[in-house]
Formats: sequence, C-alpha cells, structure tokens
Amino acid sequence: MTFYSALALAVGLLVVAPYLAHRLRRRSAEERPFPPARLVPPAPPKARRRALLEDKALYVTRAAVVVALALLGATPFVRCSRLSLQRAGGASVAMAIVLDDSMSMRADAGGRSRFVRAREGARELLSSAREGDEVAVVLAGAPARVALAATTNLAAARDTVDALVPSDRATDLDGALVLARGLVASLPQLDRRVVVLSDLADGQPDAPPLGEASGVPVWIALPELRARGTDCALMRADQRGARVRIAIACGPGATLGGREVFVEDAAGKTLGHAAPANGPTSEVVVTLSSDDATSATRARLSGADAIAVDDSAPVVSEAGRGAIAVVADSADEAVATGGAPIVEQAFSALKLDLEVHPMPALPDRLEDLAGDVGIVLDDPPGLTPEQRHALGAFVEGGGLALVALGPHAAAAPLGATLEPILAQSVAWREAARVGADPSTAVGVLLGSASGLADLGASWRAVLAPEDAAAFDPIVKWTDGAPLVARRTMGRGETWLVTLPLSADASDLPLRPAFLSLLDGWVKTAREHAAPRRSNVGTVWKFPGARSAQARGPAGPVAETREDGIVRVVAPLVGTYDILVDGKREMRVAAPDVREIDLRPRALAESALGERLGERRAAVDISAEVALALLALMCAEMILRALSKRRAGTAEG
Amino acid sequence: MSELRPIRQAIDWGHLAPLRLRAKQVAEGVYAGMHRSARRGAGVEFGGYREYVVGDDLRWLDRRSLLRHGRLVIRQFETETDRTLSVLVDATASMAFRGPSAPGAKLAFASLIAAALSRVALVGGDPVSLTFLGGERSAPVARSSGREQFDRVVAALEATQPGGDAHLDRAMVDRALQALARTSKRGAIVVVLSDLLDLPDDVADRISAIAPAGRVLVVVQVLDPAEVDFPFSGTVRLRALEGGTVVETDADATRASYLEALAKLTAAWQDAVVRRGGRFVRAKTTDDPVEVVRAIVQSIR
Repeated sequence: MTFYSALALAVGLLVVAPYLAHRLRRRSAEERPFPPARLVPPAPPKARRRALLEDKALYVTRAAVVVALALLGATPFVRCSRLSLQRAGGASVAMAIVLDDSMSMRADAGGRSRFVRAREGARELLSSAREGDEVAVVLAGAPARVALAATTNLAAARDTVDALVPSDRATDLDGALVLARGLVASLPQLDRRVVVLSDLADGQPDAPPLGEASGVPVWIALPELRARGTDCALMRADQRGARVRIAIACGPGATLGGREVFVEDAAGKTLGHAAPANGPTSEVVVTLSSDDATSATRARLSGADAIAVDDSAPVVSEAGRGAIAVVADSADEAVATGGAPIVEQAFSALKLDLEVHPMPALPDRLEDLAGDVGIVLDDPPGLTPEQRHALGAFVEGGGLALVALGPHAAAAPLGATLEPILAQSVAWREAARVGADPSTAVGVLLGSASGLADLGASWRAVLAPEDAAAFDPIVKWTDGAPLVARRTMGRGETWLVTLPLSADASDLPLRPAFLSLLDGWVKTAREHAAPRRSNVGTVWKFPGARSAQARGPAGPVAETREDGIVRVVAPLVGTYDILVDGKREMRVAAPDVREIDLRPRALAESALGERLGERRAAVDISAEVALALLALMCAEMILRALSKRRAGTAEG
Repeated sequence: MSELRPIRQAIDWGHLAPLRLRAKQVAEGVYAGMHRSARRGAGVEFGGYREYVVGDDLRWLDRRSLLRHGRLVIRQFETETDRTLSVLVDATASMAFRGPSAPGAKLAFASLIAAALSRVALVGGDPVSLTFLGGERSAPVARSSGREQFDRVVAALEATQPGGDAHLDRAMVDRALQALARTSKRGAIVVVLSDLLDLPDDVADRISAIAPAGRVLVVVQVLDPAEVDFPFSGTVRLRALEGGTVVETDADATRASYLEALAKLTAAWQDAVVRRGGRFVRAKTTDDPVEVVRAIVQSIR
C-alpha cells in the first residue's frame, strides 16, 4: 500500500465523522424505571422523528462536504483512467482512429461490450484533441471502411463516433490500417498516428505483429480489450423437409461438451434438439415431426460462450448449389460422341460444383427454372410465346442464358421467334471465307481467343443489324460480325454464339476457348445469382435493379449505389427480407468463421509505446470540486438555519 | 438482559422510617383499645342480610326471601370472637419504586400499613399472620398474637428486600397464594397490599376467591403518585421493573392512553374483588397512612 493509498483511506474514514457526531447528538433518551411501563403505549415521538429527518439531511450534506474536501485536497493526485493524446512539442496531431466494429467486439469487457469500451476510448481521445488536430475514423469490420475522412471538424468526428453501432462483421485489421495510414500519411501535421481500438481478434493470430514496420506509428490504445475466451457459432441451419441440418464451428480451445442444439419456432417453443459431437466443427441433423416441419424458425446453441449473438441461426430452406439447364438435342449430330451432347460433356469437363440437368425443351413456366442459375439453348428452333415469357422473366430476374444459333434457329417456323433475345430473324449463311478474329476478343476470351484463329466453320448464323448492334461482342468474325456477344437484360444477361454447339457445324466445341467461354459464362451466372447464404458483411449486388429495399434483424438496411448497381451490405447475422423491384427474396447473413477465433493478434513492441498517448491523465477538477463544496456548505447553512427555526418554534 | 433480572435493593423507607414508631402512631390514630370483632356469618346474634355470592354456605340461604321475593339472600349473624388478620404484602421488584414526590417506596408504605394494621389487630387481641409475595429475605410470620407478634411482624417487614418478578415467575405467585390460603382460616380478615401492576391476569380471580369462604378480603392497591399522575413530559424511555418491558414514547401524547389503561386495570381488580364480596381500597404513597388504615378498618366493619 502506498502512502497515498493510506492517506486516501484515512481521508475516507473522515466521511464517517459526521455520522458519529450525528449518533452522539442523537443519543437515546435516558431510561427511567417505571413499574407500569407495560401500560404505556409506545409512540414514535414526533419531535424526534422530525429531528431524525433533519439530521439525516444534515448528515448527508456534511458527509458530502467532507468528501468534497477530501477530493479537493487530493486533486493533484487524481488521475482518471482516460485516454488522451501526448503531443510532441505541443504541435497539432493527425490521428486516424481505427475502431473495430466486428462481431468479436460484442464480447463482454467488464460489464459492457468491448465495442462500447472502444467507442468510449474514441470519445476520450477526441475530447483530448484540440483545434488544429485532424481526425479520421476507420472501421475495422470487414470490409474495412472509412467512417470519416480526415477532418479538423472535431464536432463532426464526435458525432460520427457517437453514431457508430456494433456489427457482426469479420475483422479486417490489416485493411483498416492501410486505410488509416492512407488517410493521415499525406496530412500536413508532423505528428501523425494511427490509434487502434480493437480486441485484435482478426482470425490471424500467426500473422506478423500489428504495427510492425509501419510508416505511421500505430498505437494500440486499449490493450485490455485483447480478446479472451472461446466461442462456438452456428454457421448455418438448412431445412429440407422435416430435417434441419445444422453446422457448428468452434474457435481454438472451445468445446461443445455439454452443449446442445435446439430447433425452435417463432414463439421459442422447442421443436427438436440434438447433441453435437465434441470437436472444432460438427454437424447435427434434427428431425422434426411433420407438424412442426413448417414452423421451425431458429436454431439455438445452448450454454454460453464469449459471443452470444452467433449462438443462434435462422432456419432456412436448404439452398441448392444451383444448376444449369441445358436444352440441346444430339439426335441429329453426325459425330457420335457416345454420350451426352457435347456441351454437357464440356460442363462435365469443367468439373463445376453446379448440377447440369438436361431438358428436352425450354419450359413454359418460370417455376420450372427455379434453382437454375443459367440456361443453355443450343440451336433452338424458335420459342413459343410461353417459352419466350418464361425465358424473359428468367433473364430479367438475374438468370443467364447462353443461346447458340444454328440452322434450326434460322429455320424457325412462323410465330416461333427468338424474342426477347433477338428482335429479328436469324440467317444461316455460308462462312467459308471468314474466321474468328482473336484480336477482337475481350473479357473471358481474352486469353484463349488465339485458339479460335483457324476456326473451321463452313456455316454461321448472321444476326440482323439491329440485333447485332444490341449485343456487346466478346469476339468477332473477321468480317466484324459477332461470333460471341453478350447483352444485359434486366438483372440478367444473354450470351449469344453464332455457331451451334455441335461438332458437325464447327470445331468450336472442341477447342479450349470453348471451355473458357463456358467457364466465364458460369462464373458470371454465379455472380448474378447470389447464394441465399453468405458471410455477414458481404456486398449483395443487384445489377439492373432499380431499387432493393432490405430489412434485416435490426430493421431497414440502407441501399447504396456504385456504378449504377444497387448494393446492400448485411451488417448483422440473421435473415434479410429484400424487395428487389417488387420481387421479394430472402437472404441469410451467416457469421464469418474467422470471427470465432478469438486469439488476439500479436503486437509490435512499439504499438504499446507511451510516447504516443498518455493512458492515465492528471485531470484538474479542483474548480468543479470547489464549486460543489461551496454549494454544499450553503446547503448545510440553510439546513442548520431551518433546523434552528423549527426548534425555536417548538420551544415557543 | 439486565432488565429481566430481579432487582435486589433495600426498601427506600424515606419519610416513613422508623417503621415501628410510625406504625404505632398510625395505629393509635386509627383505633385505640379493644374492639368487638365483627364477623358476620355463623353465630348467635342476627346481623342482617346480604346478597348471595358464589361460594356462600347454602345453610344460611334465606328461603323466605327466596320464596317471597325470588332473590338469593344470605342471613348473617354477629358473634364475639377473635379474628385472625392475614396480611399479604407484595414485595416484588415493582414495589421498590419511589417516584420523585413520594415519601417512600411503595413497599415501605405497604409495610407501614401492614404494621399499623397488625398493631390494631394485636391490641384488639386478634392474631396476626404475615406472608409475602416475592421479596428477598422475606420471612413469613406465622399466626400468633401477643405483643411480641408486633415486633416479629415489624422485624419481618424491615428485613424484607424487594425482589422477584411476578410477571414471569408464576411459581412465586402460586406459593404466596397457597401460603395465604393456609394462614387465613374461616372468619379471618385477609388484607392484600400490592400495586397490582405486574400480577398475572388470573391472580385477581384467585385472590377474590378467598372472600366468599367466610373470610373478609380487603385488597389495597398501593401506587406511587408518579404512577397515578404520569408526570413525564417529552420523549421518555420507561423500563418496567418486572417483565422487562422497555417503552420509548412521547409522554405528552400517550399520557391519556396510559391513565386509561391504569384505570381499566384498577377497575378490573375492583370488579373482581367486589363481585366476590371483598373490599377494594386504593391508596397513594402520599396519602395519610392513618386515613388509609382507617379506610381499611372501616371496610372490614
């Protein structure tokens, strides 16, 4: 115990002095013998009761006076545990505050969440900033983003910090540091620094120490926030029929021993439960009764760990991996491949994780294309009105169509047009003197178009000039006509190949560039058909959509636009109801598996340097304490005067 | 806990000492010389009628009055006989109380009354016995007559120190009442001197039961002026000498309630005693002892 501690204790004991004086003054009435005392009714004496109340007020006031006196005397020694900036030579400071708003910051840190403490730290830092200081705020929840560009407007910085809310994102400390350094590196202040307010749990405990070899000094201002504890999370809960398949992942050191997974309905009633196997990851299947199969809404992991928010997950109908519908007829192919049409075999060769399912004809209803991310039409002999409607709706809704034009497309019967892909009819013409021009290749064929130089095609489909103008060529024929072209339609795209996907018509399907074409087309199809479940913080893009109104666990989520594309970012784990141009869809934001690894990142020695910031600052509060003391003494005088007047009245 | 322990202390005689001389003075002031013992009951000379009370000998029931008036009336006779005076003095702790305006403790006043009564009885030739309720070093005096008996009575009263808690010690009360019953034969005059404040509730009936059995019962309530007037003011903390009761109260606010409770207690005793044919006398320690003894003697007649 230091001398100051002993002194403080001694001063603290003075607080009881008024109480002792009060007790002495309020001694009990003298006891007198009186045989018939049992006949005397006890009555709380009014005068003493009044005196008691007055004394209490006086006692409290006097105790407060003593405390205030003690504080006033101790002011030179009073140090608050507040963050503040240390200035080199008193010059202005350029500071970028990196505030971690990831899910791991929701963990408890002494009765409040780490995020709340970090936000308080940011406020304390801002309160120590002064005119001329420049402040930027960067959020470290993935993806790292700038909440406030560098500004000397400290009020705006305070407002920005006050408005920050925690999210369930993953942590991107490296990205946040890059952003922060970039924001302050070019500022005129000589004293620049990056202040990190984070638990440092970014899922990369073995990465290089934070703040090492940094051009701008990095200060880890609140090392006590360093992540501790372990966490397990429900990664997904997919329902198919009466079975709910639940995936659980645990961070290092965490175990599932003694914990169970419950499936509940909207009212919290348990519909089924299962005990997961003990291990870093586990998957359990909870089988529900047929009556409960439609009412399961939530899966919950029992027990407690560092982060509670990831112990539950919404139950959603199992999302398939997506499929590609292929409408191709190999019956009239002269080249016998001994199996499926050549385009299906090409998809097989790409070893996609997508299901390829052949169709005899394009369906009449959009529902029949549910679950498909793209459709391949090989030389369709025109489309019926129903097929045109279904295809149009499919593409407009975000699907991709790959249409290969051939002799059948050119010989479409009257009324069976290729609308809405092509407005005009297609001609099937000889192509003996033309070939592909690799120099015109762009996009997906940029690297492989050289293989199309001597394309052996004796016939080709020729588009009407209006249709050719509507498409963006990916690669052209030597005469300038499109060989492969793409066109955006609504939220989807249509890719066009002016050769059928048959080895009889050309050797295009046999060339490597064809595989590159299919690979690029599938990739684009995947991008358009975003999966129903993605990690929290993922940007959901809605190209071609006019608006996307999303509603998440915490209410409406603001949409943003970049390059004309509507974007929505899910900041929290949970279910999102999104209305895209009047069409409703549901998406799920799942926790990032990196975020359950609560091992903190290593720190560079220099990042803890006191040179950058004084953690405990001496705060001069003598003026405030003196003012309070004065007020208390006035109050005491008033109370004493009132007490005397009342006593005088009683005696009179 | 100290409040629960019986208080042992000498009698605060105050202005009532010395007991022997004071008792003689009181007795001389009340009655001098021989007197005719007045015992109504079985005898030769008709002495009048009185209302029947429970316990009366049915042989003396006046059947004519019953048939004529429908009332139960007992015929009384006078006889010349010696009458035993049995005195019970309450020497419990509460009797040690002496208020600021009292000449002495209640026990001192009761002792003076008892001694003076004994003197009157002994001078008249009647035997006297003395028993105590509670008290330290309290030695009962057996029934006897003669001049020495007065000295024995005075010595016993002077030797007694107040003590005992009648409120808590039922056995002590039982012992005293049994001794009183043994010493007071038929025709005896039983005088009980007590403040009646801390006696158990059933004692009133048990003492009153003595009266109908051919005895004359006189209950004398001896109170201190402070107990009668409740002279306190403001906040007081009062401790009972028996029972351990401690009360903190606003005296001004509760005076009326206390006086009402005391009057109720006195009325209950008076009712119990009178209903069974006994007499009830109320005395303050500031009262003239001569008048008190005279009142007792007159109530006996």
